[in-house]
Amino acid sequence: MKIGAFEELVLLAVGSLGENAYGVAVKELLKEKTGRTPSIGALHSALYRLEDKGCLNSSEGGATSERGGRRKKFYTLTAAGKNAIIDANRIRLQFSKNIEGLNLGLDES
Amino acid sequence: MNNRKRYQPPRYGDRILRWFCAEEVIETLQGDLHELYYKTRKEKGKLLADLQYLVDVLSAFRPFALKRRSGSINSNFTTMYRNYLKIAGRNLIKYKMYSMIKIGGFAIGIAACLMISLFVKHELSYDKHHANKDRIYRVINVMDIPSDPGKGTAFPAQIAQVLKDHFPEIEKAGRLIPYDWYYAGDNQFRPESHVRNNYEKGFAYADQELLEILEIPMIYGDLKHALTEPNSIVLSKKKADKYFPNEDPVGQTIILNEDESHPFVIGGVMEDFPANSHLQFDFFITLTDVEFWQGEQTNWCCWNYNPYILVRPDVDPLDLEEKLLLIRDDYIVAHLRKTGNQFADDAQKYNSFYLQPVKDVRLYSEGIHDIIPHGDIRIVWLFAAIATFILLLACINFVNLSTAKSANRAKEVGLRKVAGSFRGHLIQQFLTESIFFSAISVVLGALLTWILLPYFNAISGKSLVFPWSEWWVAPILAGIIVLIGIIAGIYPSFYLSAFNPIDVIKGNLSHGSKSSKLRGAMVIFQFTTSIILIVGAFIVYRQMSFILNKKLGFDKEQVVLIHGTNTLGDKLKPFKNGLLQLSEVQNTAASNYFPVSGTKRDQNEFWKEGRNKLDKGVGAQIWWVDQDYINTLGMKLSEGRLFSEEIASDSSAIIINQTMARKLGLDSPVGERIMNWRTWTVVGVVEDFHFESMKGDLIGSLGLVRGTHGSFISVKVNTQNIASALESITKVWDEFMPNQPIRYTFLDETYARMYEDVKRTGNLFTSFAVLAIFVACLGLFGLSAFMAEQRRKEISIRKVLGASFKAIFQLLTLNFLKLILVSFVIAIPIGWYMMQVWLDDFKYRTNLSWDVFVFAGIMVLIIAVLTVSFECIKAAVANPANGLRSE
Repeated sequence: MKIGAFEELVLLAVGSLGENAYGVAVKELLKEKTGRTPSIGALHSALYRLEDKGCLNSSEGGATSERGGRRKKFYTLTAAGKNAIIDANRIRLQFSKNIEGLNLGLDES
Repeated sequence: MNNRKRYQPPRYGDRILRWFCAEEVIETLQGDLHELYYKTRKEKGKLLADLQYLVDVLSAFRPFALKRRSGSINSNFTTMYRNYLKIAGRNLIKYKMYSMIKIGGFAIGIAACLMISLFVKHELSYDKHHANKDRIYRVINVMDIPSDPGKGTAFPAQIAQVLKDHFPEIEKAGRLIPYDWYYAGDNQFRPESHVRNNYEKGFAYADQELLEILEIPMIYGDLKHALTEPNSIVLSKKKADKYFPNEDPVGQTIILNEDESHPFVIGGVMEDFPANSHLQFDFFITLTDVEFWQGEQTNWCCWNYNPYILVRPDVDPLDLEEKLLLIRDDYIVAHLRKTGNQFADDAQKYNSFYLQPVKDVRLYSEGIHDIIPHGDIRIVWLFAAIATFILLLACINFVNLSTAKSANRAKEVGLRKVAGSFRGHLIQQFLTESIFFSAISVVLGALLTWILLPYFNAISGKSLVFPWSEWWVAPILAGIIVLIGIIAGIYPSFYLSAFNPIDVIKGNLSHGSKSSKLRGAMVIFQFTTSIILIVGAFIVYRQMSFILNKKLGFDKEQVVLIHGTNTLGDKLKPFKNGLLQLSEVQNTAASNYFPVSGTKRDQNEFWKEGRNKLDKGVGAQIWWVDQDYINTLGMKLSEGRLFSEEIASDSSAIIINQTMARKLGLDSPVGERIMNWRTWTVVGVVEDFHFESMKGDLIGSLGLVRGTHGSFISVKVNTQNIASALESITKVWDEFMPNQPIRYTFLDETYARMYEDVKRTGNLFTSFAVLAIFVACLGLFGLSAFMAEQRRKEISIRKVLGASFKAIFQLLTLNFLKLILVSFVIAIPIGWYMMQVWLDDFKYRTNLSWDVFVFAGIMVLIIAVLTVSFECIKAAVANPANGLRSE
């Protein structure tokens, strides 16, 4: 499973939001954690892509008045999604070991 | 509720979203957008929220959200097209033979068309690369004398200066000497530091301003000063790379023809002329301070310079032409009057000037005497027409086969209609199908072009390449696909879509026979075209062999021309003697002049002695040849004697040809005295021989005078074993000239080269004729197969009732033969007329006779019968039980 850097961040955000992971919530969490504000279009694009790749599941529900009565699409992390995160992290660690003077603050266990 | 109403985001956002967004994406996306709007609105106010909202909406314009994801809105449209293509593909595979004929014919037609288009494009692109192409003109001298009209490019030496001095409209004027003259033409060439000479062609004299007018890009040296110094020379990049690889040769010294007393200094290196330039030179020698003889530069006697001019912007060439008449009055006529020439009145009356735009030089120089190879706009159009015709033939095949096979599609049409298809849909279907076929064919055709282009180049004498990498190729090919698809598919699609479903499904369709008249007409058209092309090819070949085998008045066989013998100098005579010692050599002669166009010429004016102020002169060539020339080239004396080395007075002796004797009005020419710029005594008369292309004029006047030197030595060889003779000759040459490799050609080959364009036309005609007949036969083959299939039951019944093989074969082929006969009758007058026009170009020509047409007709007939008979025989020998069993 190949995922991009932004996709990885989206996966992490969806995972950490648990039950409550939908578009706006993910966007705000990403802003809070990374300081970056992806456009809503880019975010949706990534979410659909990740769903196609099997990293995310989705279910609909929870309309509110702020949304003009429109339903939310909640995402949950799948096992494949978790593996993707692990894979990405492993690659990062392997590389970091080869870079002298770089300490990611992690010890491989 | 109020709360929500107040924070309603602008409506246009939703509208945009709904326009591009897929149904299944829109709900959640819109929800998120609205929620974000709500938040920004609360925090930042309406304006910022609206802006942010718009940006957000537009940020969703991504593949994931686009409509095609939906598949619901236009699904019918795409599915139907997919279905049309699928059916087309299945039909292609099911009727392999018909598909092959359709596609193959198309691909061939398209390949022919593409090749010819490249050819035409190249012809039309000549001289369009000059930056000032709209302001560059060649000055043409027009003489409208009713009895002897002519156009020429040559002017006296002062012309450039006069043009610049008198006409402010002219920004620059430069002269060119493109023909064999002094150092112009070909030379033995070597850089001063080399010992060995090399033969080089493509020398011309040019003014510095000519370079500036043509804006020739320079690689080394300065365009503004390359030819300003006396004795400077400019080389092309190609030649500079050959002699001075990887260095700047400006300032180096060049020796021509071993003449060390007259060295040239390289003033610059220019970019090679592009292939589509009418000028093709490798060396420009400066005209600065050049004077070929005493007073030459100021005398208006002698016309040797071709002027090119650059006019200022917004100058009307027609106005300028009017003003140029001043040159006629003040210089040309004035000179003629001063020298008491009778011609002055004619010049005053008939002389005018024409400014030929440089981009017209290639194709619109009919009747202008220059030595530059020209194309002919008529040939360009003719080829374009032929290409169109071949493509049309291929389209006709497509139409013919599609309607012929309509029975097979009739049920499909009926069923589609019953299932609710409109006629428009069916038309769409069949057009799609024909575009599908044309797409395959165009791709194949483009590949075929690519493969065949080298052969086409060999035939047409061009060096065309397929412009794969040009940006316009793909769109043009796509355009061709659609266009041809529609042209070929429009009739079948209307025809097929018109079937009445009830009739069709009942089986009442007349099996496509309704359109048999139209099919017949199309076959006639195809074969008419083929016959005309075949007749054309025959006539061109016949004219070619007429020229090559005509009695010329000299013997061109077994004559070897050794080039570059001017460097022999004093060793010429010993060299000739050396050659004569060889048993293989019969005779040798030194001269620059040969009875083949493109060799040296010297036009003069002759009078009977003392009548130069009284009579109009006789224009005649004067050739300097040595005493052995007439014997070596096998010309015949009709009166008088040859030159002799023993007779000292022969330095003023002249041998004239019969035409010249007649024109000068000499009844017994031998002993008469005639003059040009000096007096000559006629010692002999030589029988007329052809010395120019038979395409041009009748045999002209010619005088031979005795010279001793020449750039060529012609060697008459008296053995069939040319190879061994050449070996011996080379040995002798190497003894005399160890530093100059021998270079020789054969007179008969040089002669044949004169008619290369005729040969080319012949080859092209043949190729096109073969293509046309091939495409036509493909169609005929398809039709005969169809006919045999249609009449299978009929044939079976006839056989059961006792018809013989012969009777059935006749029955089936007779129809086609009738069509061929009709096309033959149509083709005769058209072909006759076209070839008459072509032959009119030749002064010496073969006759158009009926046998060519008969031969072409019989050939086409045989080919057609062979094509048809395959299917007919198959039908005639088939077991009738098989044909009837299924009933």
